[in-house]
Amino acid sequence: MSFDVSLVFASLPEIVGGIGVTVQLLVLSLLLGLVLAVATALMRISRIPLLAWPALAYVYVFRGTPILVQLFVIYYGLPQFAFIQESVLWPILREPYWCAIIAFTLNNGAYAAEILRGGIQGVDRGLHEAGRALGLSPRQRFIYVTAPIAVRLALPAYSNEMISLLKATALASTITMADVTGVARTIVAKTFAPYEIFISAALVYLAMTWLIQRAVALAERRASRYVRT
Amino acid sequence: MSAVAGWLDDFLRSAVVILEVLLVALAMCVTWGLLGAAAKLCKSRIAFRIATLYTTVFRGTPELLVLLIVYFGSAITLTGIAQVFDPEVKFVDIPPFWAGAFAISLVVGAYATETFRGAFLGVDVGQVEAARALGLGPVHTFFYVRLPQMWRLALPSFGNHMNSLIKDTSLISVIGLEEIMYTAEMATSVTNRPFTMYLVVALIYLAFTSVIVAGVWALERYANRHLETAR
Repeated sequence: MSFDVSLVFASLPEIVGGIGVTVQLLVLSLLLGLVLAVATALMRISRIPLLAWPALAYVYVFRGTPILVQLFVIYYGLPQFAFIQESVLWPILREPYWCAIIAFTLNNGAYAAEILRGGIQGVDRGLHEAGRALGLSPRQRFIYVTAPIAVRLALPAYSNEMISLLKATALASTITMADVTGVARTIVAKTFAPYEIFISAALVYLAMTWLIQRAVALAERRASRYVRT
Repeated sequence: MSAVAGWLDDFLRSAVVILEVLLVALAMCVTWGLLGAAAKLCKSRIAFRIATLYTTVFRGTPELLVLLIVYFGSAITLTGIAQVFDPEVKFVDIPPFWAGAFAISLVVGAYATETFRGAFLGVDVGQVEAARALGLGPVHTFFYVRLPQMWRLALPSFGNHMNSLIKDTSLISVIGLEEIMYTAEMATSVTNRPFTMYLVVALIYLAFTSVIVAGVWALERYANRHLETAR
């Protein structure tokens, strides 16, 4: 019942050992999710229904269902089909590590796509017209005018999404991954000291959240250097 | 899909459990949100610091971890207290339903705190001054002037918070609540069709979030009806 501080110090090195897995899940899913998000956002704003509709459906489904359910559909669900167990992808889909990354990527991609879309649509029309007046092609206008401003507009919301994804990686512990939460749960099962261990794990996540916020604040400063006087 | 037919009543029953968790957690979440916003806006520095600590901690910690701390932490405390009176007791816990609703409401309440704070700040100062000029006390000002105007501003974000709450209910299966994730697990162990069963779970959640989105949209139209003619 009492709070055993020595237990915190004894278990902290082990919990910190889980950071490697958590960071890998976070960084890989963020990078892959960003690629997916850019593609989805461009499809979403396209005037061709055949591009816009699938993107809308993807965003709707993945934002409307819990990430734990998405994870379970992929990890526990897919092996139901014999053709998946026989496919070349099976060595990947068999691993909880890759299933977690696939689920987090798909989830993050849907949320980030909406943020990027908001950023792109938030760019002042006048700038677009100025680009046209200067004789820039549509592609040049997008790369040199729209994109840099859209990035600045999207950054604050995107940083919240990064933190959401960091928190979501804790769910990987439900499919046997030894991330920070997974390691903490294993230690609690042995010591039955939930306060000490889980609060230590929470502190690790808080530290990582703080780091993300600092990093994004720096990136934001850089992205908005043209508005500073 | 014939495999699902035999489990429909179980899915329906556990979907009701989800709905009950949502309603309880929603009430708690609004309470934490309003208390947090009040603490952040009042003049007391201590209240401000406590509220800031609350939002920082609960927005930066995974929901799953909060849930595990609340459930297993309270279980160990309660068991310890119970053993003082009766050494024979092995394990006492808060039912997963209440521990789960409380845990997810704490997390989403931290987000609601920021939403409500922004919404209260969005109410024109002139409105509050007018209320004071009319001789309304702080309580009347709060209920008749501030609250009716702030909820309109808070609504869009609060709709997202409700969606977060309903989606977070899926985590409570981890501490043993018999809700739809649990039903899917049971159904899978009998039928050996995990994909089908978890797909049903996904569809149930999609239905819930769609209803919430539609409901919030209707409420937003109602809340902004005084702006309609101005266009």
